[in-house]
Amino acid sequence: MVVSTPVTEKPASAEELARKLRDAAGEKLSVVPVGGGRASGMGCPVERCDVIMQTTRLDRVIEHEQADMVVSVEAGITLEALQSHLGKAGQFLPLDPYNSPGHTIGGLLASGWTGPLRLRYGSPRDFLIGIRVALPDGKLASAGGRVVKNVSGYDLMKLHYGALGSLGVVVAASFKVFPRPLHDVTLSDGGGWDAADRAAAMPVGPSALELLSDGHVLARYLGTRDAVDRVVSELGWKKVDNSVWDEHSRRAPTTWARIAAPRTKLRDVVSSLPDGAEWWASPGTGIAHWAVATDAQSVRDMRAKVEAAGGTLVMLAAPDDFMREAGAWGTAPATIDIMRRIKKAFDPDGILNPGRFVV
Amino acid sequence: MPLAPAVVDELKRIVGRDAVIVAPNDLRIFERDGSIEGAIPDAVVLASSTAEVAAVMKVAAKHRVPVVPRGAGTGLSGGAVTIRGGIALQVTRMRHILEIDPVAQTALVEPGVVNQELSLAAAQHGLFYAPDPSSQKACTLGGNAAENSGGPHCLYYGVTTNHVLGMEVVLADGSVRWVSGDAPDRVGLDLCGVLVGSEGTLCAITKIKVRLLRIPPSVITLLAAFPTIETASQAVSAVIGHGMVPSAMEMMDRVTVGAVEGHYHAGYPTDAGAVLLVEVDGTPESTRELTAAISKILADNQGYAMREAQTSAERDLLWAGRKGAIGALGRIRPNYYLHDGVVPRSRLPQVLSAVGEIGEHYKLPVANVFHAGDGNLHPNILFDMRDQGVLHQVESAGEEMLRAVVEFGGTLSGEHGIGLEKSAYMPWIFSPDDLDAMHRLKDVFDADGILNPGKIFPDPSRKSVHLAGRTGLAIEAKWW
Repeated sequence: MVVSTPVTEKPASAEELARKLRDAAGEKLSVVPVGGGRASGMGCPVERCDVIMQTTRLDRVIEHEQADMVVSVEAGITLEALQSHLGKAGQFLPLDPYNSPGHTIGGLLASGWTGPLRLRYGSPRDFLIGIRVALPDGKLASAGGRVVKNVSGYDLMKLHYGALGSLGVVVAASFKVFPRPLHDVTLSDGGGWDAADRAAAMPVGPSALELLSDGHVLARYLGTRDAVDRVVSELGWKKVDNSVWDEHSRRAPTTWARIAAPRTKLRDVVSSLPDGAEWWASPGTGIAHWAVATDAQSVRDMRAKVEAAGGTLVMLAAPDDFMREAGAWGTAPATIDIMRRIKKAFDPDGILNPGRFVV
Repeated sequence: MPLAPAVVDELKRIVGRDAVIVAPNDLRIFERDGSIEGAIPDAVVLASSTAEVAAVMKVAAKHRVPVVPRGAGTGLSGGAVTIRGGIALQVTRMRHILEIDPVAQTALVEPGVVNQELSLAAAQHGLFYAPDPSSQKACTLGGNAAENSGGPHCLYYGVTTNHVLGMEVVLADGSVRWVSGDAPDRVGLDLCGVLVGSEGTLCAITKIKVRLLRIPPSVITLLAAFPTIETASQAVSAVIGHGMVPSAMEMMDRVTVGAVEGHYHAGYPTDAGAVLLVEVDGTPESTRELTAAISKILADNQGYAMREAQTSAERDLLWAGRKGAIGALGRIRPNYYLHDGVVPRSRLPQVLSAVGEIGEHYKLPVANVFHAGDGNLHPNILFDMRDQGVLHQVESAGEEMLRAVVEFGGTLSGEHGIGLEKSAYMPWIFSPDDLDAMHRLKDVFDADGILNPGKIFPDPSRKSVHLAGRTGLAIEAKWW
């Protein structure tokens, strides 16, 4: 393998990006799309990287119809820039990924990273309403629209969401956005899983519920004042400043993994992590993150347990050698043959992120 | 073209003699769904299991016979119509709720389970299934998943795709596969997300794992009258603009209210230009607080004759009026053509006034009943099939209304699907490159085109778009 320094392209428009992608594909050059680089550690180390396709100059808010609560943006805008724009209208995108700040919207769509608020609002899979993607043949393909309910044509938003740029480069997206909640209160307790379960079972459920390996529980309540007040008094936990969520979202260990399991099995799965492991979990969604301080074999052992419970363990970042030894994704899904055919249909020469994703 | 006797025999060997229908008179029952256009299938196969669906698909693949999966046939876009002949693959015998897991809050169902049956069965665990199409007493969950159906309460809870966790599907080659499942964030491409809403063109659905939600302890339903559709629309925007997303916000215009009130006597004010039905759910504290806040906003926006359903019987009656509204329109004309389009919410008043003008132009009464919170409008064009030439007028009027929807930045369908009805209009909202990307997916799943052919994608050989009034300038792509 000849190792050469990759060329970095910073296109200023979707059309320019599509053209550069087509040119690269024409010369069979491999392309690694990059937004804010926050999830660059995700996946297997790429086999080749001839062109780094930076999306950060595509950073415009294309349209924000306040009354419709819909926003269309270019993919390279950072989440923070978008939130600050929406905030002026009392709105927000309910997305609070770890390893913040600095995620771009395109990166978040490609990586599928989410955060605590997913419990209440779902993931972008639920509120992404339109997408525009540059394909290796230079075409710009859109799907969805800018209305909140839409069944016109195939739901290609789902195809590209979480596909780690393996089928095309996301250049723009439209979202349903949400009104800032009337009331926003965070409670904390030290009671571990039992405390988290108790909060989850209350008539007023938390909008975010995070459990840390030291037994701390953070619960965020969004809603009407009376309902939130009732929970606050019934739970009897202490109120903490909402800034804890900013701190929480900055978590990004050097070597870390995401565990996703059926919700009812998460507790068992997490308890089988190595003794003394540092982790944090979202019991309501079935997701946990593990700061891996042990060796690659421990990751493989842990993955076997998670997969036996019907879940997955995906490495989010690790040194290259560690990543190769532990494997980024684990056992290939049973439908990998279909996924490979889709990959072939969109990226026949395999120039996008070669070797990084499962297809 | 009738199927070759040898093919019919093969099908009978799979499902049994009684489960294959080929007699012309019997086939007529399967000619239509809830839309206008019909076509008689060459055969109907009543499958009872995944294995049977798979075996039927293999036979169809071998002989290149089209297969159209079919549930209750309540669809409104021609999705279940066998426009290219072939086999209507009826799944209504697969109607078992296989499992309800009250701890995980999930259910595993066969595709022929009726939407409402699932919520009724889940209720004993304090759970319900959120997507609630107006046809929920009849429509099947398989059809819902294929069409990505919506319903009034999708404003807050989301549509079918947000509630499907995984599916067992039979592909065009007859192979049986599971896509997704209980755990979130699965590795690889989200095939389940792509297959939901694919309208039977990529797979047949044989099992569905869905999410169930806890029944909220308190529900308040509120009715308010408004002098005009404009004022009611402004009220809807104002409520949402104040940071409140009720579980449902449904609007009915004067024509609809008159018909509904004549039939159900639900106490809808018939002098109103529009009636709004708002529902909030949650804890008693939150619903009380929300109802008070919403009532004030409605009143500030010229809402009057406001009424809260005091009992569950009153609430059911208010909803019976809404969900039965389409049937009640039979009081005005015997036939209706129910359209489906979505516009950005703030454009509702403009698009509804365009819809009204189009109805007047064609001298066809139009009744509007729709999901106002989502901007999802449902104009019903009312007519009498016995009037000569009326169908062409109705289709032209419907097409113009849809055109107006698209011109106001909207889309062709919010919950009924593209199917046969709207495939010719797809180029209005999608460029050739957009459609090409969708075609690639179709080719991956069904290269021979045997699954529900003639749907979603425009078919130049079939019909030309008969845009009678407005000029048919292509709408430039538009929103990026």
